[in-house]
Amino acid sequence: MRALLAFMKKEWMEQIRSGRLVILTIIFVLLGIMNPAIAKLTPWLLEMMSDTLAESGMIFNSVTVDAMSSWGQFFKNLPMGLIIFILLESSIFTREYQSGTLVLALTKGLERHKVVLAKAMVLTFLWTVYYWSCFAITYGYNEYFWDNAVAKNLLFSVICWWLFGLWAVMLAVFFSTIAKSNISVLAGTGGVAFATYLISLLPKVKRYSPSVLMDGNSLIYGLEDVQAYTVAIIVTVILCVVCLALSIPALNKKRI
Amino acid sequence: MLQITNLKKRFGDKEVISGLNLAVPEHSIFGFIGKNGAGKTTTMKMVLGLLKPDEGEITVAGEKVLYGQTVTNRHIGYLPDVPEYYSFMTAPEYLTFCGEITGMNKNEIIERRRELLELVGLGDEKHRIKGFSRGMKQRLGIAQALLNRPKLLICDEPTSALDPVGRKEILDILLKVREQTTVLFSTHILSDVERICTDIAFLNDGVISMQGKLSDIKAGYRTEEYWLETEKERDAQVLINTFEDCRQIENNKLVLREKDNTIYDVLNYVTNNRIPLLKLERKEPSLESLFMEVVER
Ligand SMILES: Nc1ncnc2c1ncn2[C@@H]1O[C@H](COP(=O)(O)OP(=O)(O)O)[C@@H](O)[C@H]1O
Ligand SMILES: [Mg+2]
Repeated sequence: MRALLAFMKKEWMEQIRSGRLVILTIIFVLLGIMNPAIAKLTPWLLEMMSDTLAESGMIFNSVTVDAMSSWGQFFKNLPMGLIIFILLESSIFTREYQSGTLVLALTKGLERHKVVLAKAMVLTFLWTVYYWSCFAITYGYNEYFWDNAVAKNLLFSVICWWLFGLWAVMLAVFFSTIAKSNISVLAGTGGVAFATYLISLLPKVKRYSPSVLMDGNSLIYGLEDVQAYTVAIIVTVILCVVCLALSIPALNKKRI
Repeated sequence: MLQITNLKKRFGDKEVISGLNLAVPEHSIFGFIGKNGAGKTTTMKMVLGLLKPDEGEITVAGEKVLYGQTVTNRHIGYLPDVPEYYSFMTAPEYLTFCGEITGMNKNEIIERRRELLELVGLGDEKHRIKGFSRGMKQRLGIAQALLNRPKLLICDEPTSALDPVGRKEILDILLKVREQTTVLFSTHILSDVERICTDIAFLNDGVISMQGKLSDIKAGYRTEEYWLETEKERDAQVLINTFEDCRQIENNKLVLREKDNTIYDVLNYVTNNRIPLLKLERKEPSLESLFMEVVER
């Protein structure tokens, strides 16, 4: 237990001193601000361009924006946040393989599964904090400018998206235990995520795919029922556990 | 303390270790000697469970070593040939990290950390490891290896990259810790071995070709050497051509490996032909010559 905590402490120190913590905090805070800002600025932007648009023959009625536009932006911009997060954290294991820094820790009797657990826990913590900070900021602005009550199933939809992000993180952990370089980690994680997206395009098997969880808009507009997501949630939770469970024997077998 | 039986390891189609047997007795300073590329690092990595042996068994303090598992490493302090640390930490932070993952308690860590940093001369170092020189990293390596008072200290060529002063410092440290632990260190520098080792093993062609107490091996090795220096180079050539046990070291210096009292024949020859000599010296059998013998065999 103390060994696990010590290794987590080291991971945390590395996040801070490498500057990753600051960069990712800035990115997720900016994302949180950007969602309502874009929504707020849309009518103004359109007005600015209306003259040129009218000249080219396009005529539009003045648009009204509300919290829904901002939540729409939220779900649209989240993938970017997740991709940057995975991109910056994809070398969390491979960096140690390449430099050989794990050798001393392991030869001191640190058990390998604790390496996996410590890193997975730190990543889960970071993803959770970044994600919900971004959410809280958007929520705050939305409440201030408009009214969040118009969005249906809001909490449920953002929990679903958080869960999808968590699965992507677990995928990255799993690929980190079998791959040697962070390029392979990114390729593996991206590849599997893309595959689940392709699955979600097939109507018959759609409801099994984790990427369904990214479709928050259908929920907040009330186009989809909460029940429609149940299977995807169960599948994603199981996949998270499987990824983590496979990572441990994978790292045990690895030549460090 | 450490027992290796019939160890085998191949990389691709190249067998690096082919049936190695080794026993390291408790409280010895064990010199593990071999040329570059002989397989010293490979053997040590298998002892630490970092490499999977193809065949054979390794036990540390009576416990079997399993690849990928690190329980037996609780008995071992390890200094790799090129130690790599978390470079964003300072030396005390790194030792604290090491102490915590081995389950030492807080006061023990603080006490031991101060003691060891003092011992290796990093007591006043406040910078992050990122800026450390090679020698400083090596010294930090010894400190981290000794941190939890291991029963077996394994050092992979600890002196190879250091200058004579640094080498002496490290050898002195190894001598000092002998009462607390068993030391196994690999090297190709034979003078280091002669300076501190109690036991030695020669690794050659994937097997141990000679092993035992340093004093026994030296005593058991009967042949002696004479060094002979003639005044003229021409005479040295004549001697080489006449006696097949003579080898040339320099222009007018010869070494004679003694067998069946050849030295008297040589002296006879010298007297009869009135060859002027500068020097004749009888040498103790050195590890150097032992090693050459083993390698050439
Ligand atoms: N991972 C590896 N893959 C292939 N060959 C290796 C590997 N590690 C070591 N070798 C080979 O094994 C031999 C022994 O290497 P090593 O144990 O490092 O020697 P030493 O430490 O005695 O100098 C060398 O010829 C080296 O090329
Ligand atoms: Mg080596």
